[in-house]
Amino acid sequence: MKPETQSRIGIYVCHCGGNISDYVDVAQVAAAVAQEPGVTISRTHMFTCSDAAQQEIIKDIQEQKLNGLVIASCSPKLHMYTFRAMAERAGVNPYQYVQVNLREQDSWAHTHHRDEATRKGIALVKAGIAKSRLSEPLVPLRVNTKPRVLVVGGGVTGLKTALALSDLGIAVDVVERSERLGGWVADWKKLYPTGQDGQALVAELEQALAQRANIKVHTQAKVTGRSGNLGDFTIRIRTPQGEQDLNVGALVMATGFAAYAPLPQEFGFGLPGVVTLPELKKSLSRGEPLQTSDGRPVKTLAFIYCVGSRQKKTAAQPQVNTHCSRTCCTAAAHLGLNLTGAYPALRQYHLYRDVRTYGKHELIFGENREKGAVYVRFDEKEPPVVSTEGAQLRVKVKDTLTRREELEIAADLVVLVTGMLPRENAELINILKVPVDRNGFFKEIHPKLRPVETVMDGLFIAGAAQSPRLIGEAVSSALAAVSKCGALLKKGYVDLEPMIAVVKTDKCTGCNACLGVCPYQAIEKTVCDGRDQVTVIPFSCKGCGACVPLCPENALDVKGYTDEQMTAAITALAQEAAV
Amino acid sequence: MTRVNAELLKTVEASGEFNAVACMNCGTCTALCPLGLTNLPREIFRDVVLGLEEKVLANVETVFSCLLCRMCQVNCPAEVKIADNVRTLRVHLNKTLHHL
Repeated sequence: MKPETQSRIGIYVCHCGGNISDYVDVAQVAAAVAQEPGVTISRTHMFTCSDAAQQEIIKDIQEQKLNGLVIASCSPKLHMYTFRAMAERAGVNPYQYVQVNLREQDSWAHTHHRDEATRKGIALVKAGIAKSRLSEPLVPLRVNTKPRVLVVGGGVTGLKTALALSDLGIAVDVVERSERLGGWVADWKKLYPTGQDGQALVAELEQALAQRANIKVHTQAKVTGRSGNLGDFTIRIRTPQGEQDLNVGALVMATGFAAYAPLPQEFGFGLPGVVTLPELKKSLSRGEPLQTSDGRPVKTLAFIYCVGSRQKKTAAQPQVNTHCSRTCCTAAAHLGLNLTGAYPALRQYHLYRDVRTYGKHELIFGENREKGAVYVRFDEKEPPVVSTEGAQLRVKVKDTLTRREELEIAADLVVLVTGMLPRENAELINILKVPVDRNGFFKEIHPKLRPVETVMDGLFIAGAAQSPRLIGEAVSSALAAVSKCGALLKKGYVDLEPMIAVVKTDKCTGCNACLGVCPYQAIEKTVCDGRDQVTVIPFSCKGCGACVPLCPENALDVKGYTDEQMTAAITALAQEAAV
Repeated sequence: MTRVNAELLKTVEASGEFNAVACMNCGTCTALCPLGLTNLPREIFRDVVLGLEEKVLANVETVFSCLLCRMCQVNCPAEVKIADNVRTLRVHLNKTLHHL
């Protein structure tokens, strides 16, 4: 800690072009703090962020040999990095710069109390000075990144991720749980809208994969351990060949989806002739004809939509899938059209709640109707009932489009259009600490602006593991994850904020109370001078401070926000308020 | 409860063009009908598509009261040829009911 007598702090109070000075007497604030211990200079500027003002401050810093800086202006959200960069250019450690928010927290909040606002402004700046006097120079933590990525999942999303990373010159390990690559798509024929064969599409990707020297594929592989941090993870995997450690800079989670498995009796599931859409697609892709459970040709086909999606909680079923799987309406319409092509005499009834064939998929919905598929709309409160009469399946449904007439359809085959669910991956999620949403899908930081990043630095998500999506949409997100990996790894290093927790080894008793609260698993047990203690993993800690108030010995501090600094700031505020 | 029967549509189609399956039940036709017909075309066409023959026969007068003005047809977003379909339906009813 730097002794107070050595502090040479510059104070700059900003008018913000009137935003602050219309309500706070900035000249009075600057004058009131000029005599504070450690303050060398105190000025005001019309716009402190302007280039001219920055030049003047840099000049002051160099001429007056300032070693601390307090700027009382807007929110640090707006200009903290501006002034940190300015401090660095002038030769002051950027972490010894303190921003006081005189706009959002003072002038804008107290437009009708000018005198009081000025008094509060003085108090806020004095608190900032108190904090600044105790500030230490800090250096960003530099991680040397490994130009290698682990892709978890060998479906189309994972394979496309691997190929695109390879194109960027980044080495890839693909781990796939099953024996073969390609996931769901390898089981499908005729993909929408091109009619391309899914198996051929996967073969194409595999062929491209085989030509890349920097991609390694591990099938029948399981992730068993994780250590390290952003830019430098060590992931342990187990394959039939044994265990090995992969040293990678980032991870892309592309574990795909699972199909909803209907409960027994749900829409007649379990009755002969009641199948799910994925089952039927698989059977048709194997070249099997469309037939009833006892091998007769199908004349009438009934689809029931929204099975396992958009469910409402009930006492009997408290755990439900509230999401719309959004791909199934299109998948069912597409299958319907393909079947009309193969079996022109086939009668199709599509029993739906709402049709969500969004965007271009609307065309396929239209075409399916034009070619004779009858769409029947049911109310979610009165869902269709499937029963058998001898060998005949009967579907009863109240059609809201026909005066809520109760219709009965004698169907030869009933197809349950099941939704997409995340895969059962509890162990993997626990090992890799992947954040999930309430339906179990991987969760991004920001659904619009940061759609493939997670709160775990260096861990990206892609494809249907994040939310139900079509192949093209899954691949788009895969390529987004690739670009984020590239931005992270291509430079060779990444600088992290140095404001992280530190352990005072003379005080820590190793009670481990802090271990449980750290959301980033950044605290570890250790032994120091023969005593049990904890230590902070610098690259994993994000400086959130959750551990600090929990320590019974006050043995934890967050750099840049030490207890000493915060106490000094609060004391200065309180003294001013008491005047 | 009514049993769905695909045969009626097949028989009607034998009398001419009938493309009401493309209907998406938006109700534009009903909103525009200058006669204020409430069940023609949408509901009666749907009865034909689903094979609810009794409901169709209960509405024969409505089928013949349509002016064939085509207000509905030119505005149908699903491009159902409504007036042509009404004609086809009339031909079918003439054949089956009046043996014409």
